[in-house]
Amino acid sequence: MSSLEVKGLSKAFGGVKAIDDFSFEVDDHNIVGIIGPNGAGKTTVFNLLTGVYPLDAGQVFLDGKELTGMPQHAITRAGIARTFQNIRLFRGLNVLQNVMTAADPYSDYNLLDVCFFTPRKRRRERAVRDLSRNYLKIVGLEGYEKERPESLPYGLQRKLELARALATKPRVLLLDEPAAGLNPSEVRALIDLVRTIHGQFQFSIIIIEHRLEVVMELSSKIFVLNFGKLLASGTPAEIVCHKAVTEAYLGEEETECSA
Amino acid sequence: MTPQLLINGISLGSVYALIAVGFALIFNILKFSNFSHGGLMSVTAYIGYVACVFLGHYIKDLPLFVVTLVAAALGGGLLALVVERVAFRRLRNSNSSVIYYFISSITMGILMENSITIFASSNFYSYPSFFPASVIRFGALSVAIPDLLTFLFSAAALVILLVVLFRTKIGLAIRSTSFDTSTAKLMGMDPNRVVAATFFASGVLGGVAGVFLGINYTLYPQLGQLIVKGFVASVIGGLGSISGALIGAVLLGVVEIFLIGLVGAGWSPVVIFVIMLVFLLLRPRGISGVIVQEKA
Amino acid sequence: MEYIASTLTFTGIALIGVLGVYMVTGLTGLFSFGQAAFLAIGAYVSAVLFKNLGFPLPLAALVAMLVGLAAGLLVGLPTVRLRRDYISLVTFGFGEAIIAVLNNTANITGGAMGLSGVPQRTSFLLVLASVIVCVAIVVSYKNSKYGRQCLALRNDELAAKSMGINVERLKLVTFLIASVMTSFAGVLYVFYTTYVEPGAFGWVISAEWMIIVFVGGVNSLTGAVVATVLLTGLPEFLRFASEWRIAIYCIIVLLILNFRPSGIFGEHEISLRFLRRLFRKGDSAE
Repeated sequence: MSSLEVKGLSKAFGGVKAIDDFSFEVDDHNIVGIIGPNGAGKTTVFNLLTGVYPLDAGQVFLDGKELTGMPQHAITRAGIARTFQNIRLFRGLNVLQNVMTAADPYSDYNLLDVCFFTPRKRRRERAVRDLSRNYLKIVGLEGYEKERPESLPYGLQRKLELARALATKPRVLLLDEPAAGLNPSEVRALIDLVRTIHGQFQFSIIIIEHRLEVVMELSSKIFVLNFGKLLASGTPAEIVCHKAVTEAYLGEEETECSA
Repeated sequence: MTPQLLINGISLGSVYALIAVGFALIFNILKFSNFSHGGLMSVTAYIGYVACVFLGHYIKDLPLFVVTLVAAALGGGLLALVVERVAFRRLRNSNSSVIYYFISSITMGILMENSITIFASSNFYSYPSFFPASVIRFGALSVAIPDLLTFLFSAAALVILLVVLFRTKIGLAIRSTSFDTSTAKLMGMDPNRVVAATFFASGVLGGVAGVFLGINYTLYPQLGQLIVKGFVASVIGGLGSISGALIGAVLLGVVEIFLIGLVGAGWSPVVIFVIMLVFLLLRPRGISGVIVQEKA
Repeated sequence: MEYIASTLTFTGIALIGVLGVYMVTGLTGLFSFGQAAFLAIGAYVSAVLFKNLGFPLPLAALVAMLVGLAAGLLVGLPTVRLRRDYISLVTFGFGEAIIAVLNNTANITGGAMGLSGVPQRTSFLLVLASVIVCVAIVVSYKNSKYGRQCLALRNDELAAKSMGINVERLKLVTFLIASVMTSFAGVLYVFYTTYVEPGAFGWVISAEWMIIVFVGGVNSLTGAVVATVLLTGLPEFLRFASEWRIAIYCIIVLLILNFRPSGIFGEHEISLRFLRRLFRKGDSAE
């Protein structure tokens, strides 16, 4: 059963087709990867799925429900969460508050509770705080609650982005180059972390990544984009052997291929 | 609507265009609304007046008018350079968030306005009349000379600006910087020079506008608050679009003259506000439809 | 004594206005040049209802706040979905428009001559109580999901949307609360001064409030309160050359901008915990 279904996604920027008739599906509780050379339109796919840009054409379904044309925040609440390639944490808030903002939209108290300091507000606030602490714990940021996000080392900022995305309770999690700027041992840890949270929650993950080992190791299926078009798709093993892909993306180098 | 009203409107609109374009230039390059532009216009109106009084002993009429305009324009340009240096240079160098530009520009605007209040508010000044208030006839159409000259000089100032923008090296630098600051920097353009040049150009337009405002409404420290007309024109035209600002300004001038004929001058700010709201509801991105899209 | 009380009363009323600006500008990062117009709405509507139509004061005050709310909707609805610059431009136009309306409806508002003969009903204690309530509400707002989300969207609107925050609605809600609060300050104002004129509500007042918030530290409520007392209260006491006051203000602000851009308090708040921590730091320094 597929949870995310994308049909004929298309977007042009001033005559340049950034994404051209891209269709794909993501099965429930699955990890897929999107790879492609720079400028292939990978991040644009995420921006289209999350409603940052309106689609020129195409449809997006999540668990059978159509999301096309919904505003950004509604798409997030419907279950598509993302991290950003160029980390976008909220600098005016501390680490814990960063996660809380993502959990807040589900916190059901209103302005009257705020004005009259009701116990309900206090209870809900405590619940959100505990919940957010838990997400921080899952990604391994326990003890950093009061820190400023910009004061964290790069690798931890990436983890915070992940915790924040988790707090929106996604059905599909979009990771935009989560390994960018990490050293090899951090990349290793990231792969393990993604695997752990994937095992822990009932959601699917789409990864965009330049570091092929990340995509190859995690994904059960890979989509290759080139100039906005789907070039190939298949299991990691199939992709490695795909002739067009190796030419367009991996280069001419010899790859061991058993197929 | 009579042709006479239309011409009044276009003449008024051309002054608004000076304001709106001066405002749009800065918006384009630094991506914030420069509220200090109003204070600058107040100051230049007085600069023009001082020049006019001193030189009035030697020359008269049209030459005096031209010299007044040039003095105010240069004064405005130099003042804008000072504003840029004092209020924005350090902010730019430290990559401050747009909030600080806002505060800085507001503060600078109030400071300029207030300086005039301190030094000149006790006396009442007004420009001498440069021209006889007569009319020129074009066939059936009669045009008041002040209106015609306002239009001609505003148009000339704008044409000079456009030539500079589209036909010179520094103009190209300004346009490319407003398109993408970091790339322009990589291409070897000195952002400080480009920004300074932009402020100078904006100040020159503000100076010319200041003189016209001073002539139309007499001199008072809050004169520059007419910058709100420039804002509205920019909103109608689309923020940051120069051609949009031009069209928006002329449109605003014509509509304003026409509606004021109907409801009276005192209601003009209300009329303008309503026009702005209606425009925002119907066409939020303005005539030019430029989308200032954030990159994800 | 009476002079001190009156200065404190005015400072308190200004503080409520500043609180509104704190919510809109400090927390949410929107620049409203029309906040003083809400002060005018509150003052004029309540005074006219009370004086000309014989409404009881609480009802007049309530209606004035509702009118403020409606005006906030009028300005806010078309602008919150656009770039932030639009809200400053539209509020600027709104402020001018309100003043023009007041000037041109002389038979009701007294026009440029002002509206006089309003009885004095506001006392220092009433203002003090109002300030306490308003500060409490703003503190609660800041420390709620709303406040957090405001800070988030001020910082990065796109990321805020991606966290499921309904940015447009949140901006509108915040703006409306500030509108109502400022209208309420207007009610207090007119029933204290007994006289109002349109000239007292220009955009410079709104800008002054923004400057106060900023001087205090962009998202520090403590800073906003301290700065209000310093910048509106003290000059009244000191009475130094009033013409120069605003110029000196501006120069101070420009200096702060250039040399301490986070404002006096930065993002810090003075709370019991903060004081305790300061104290503890002193201990550990031994």
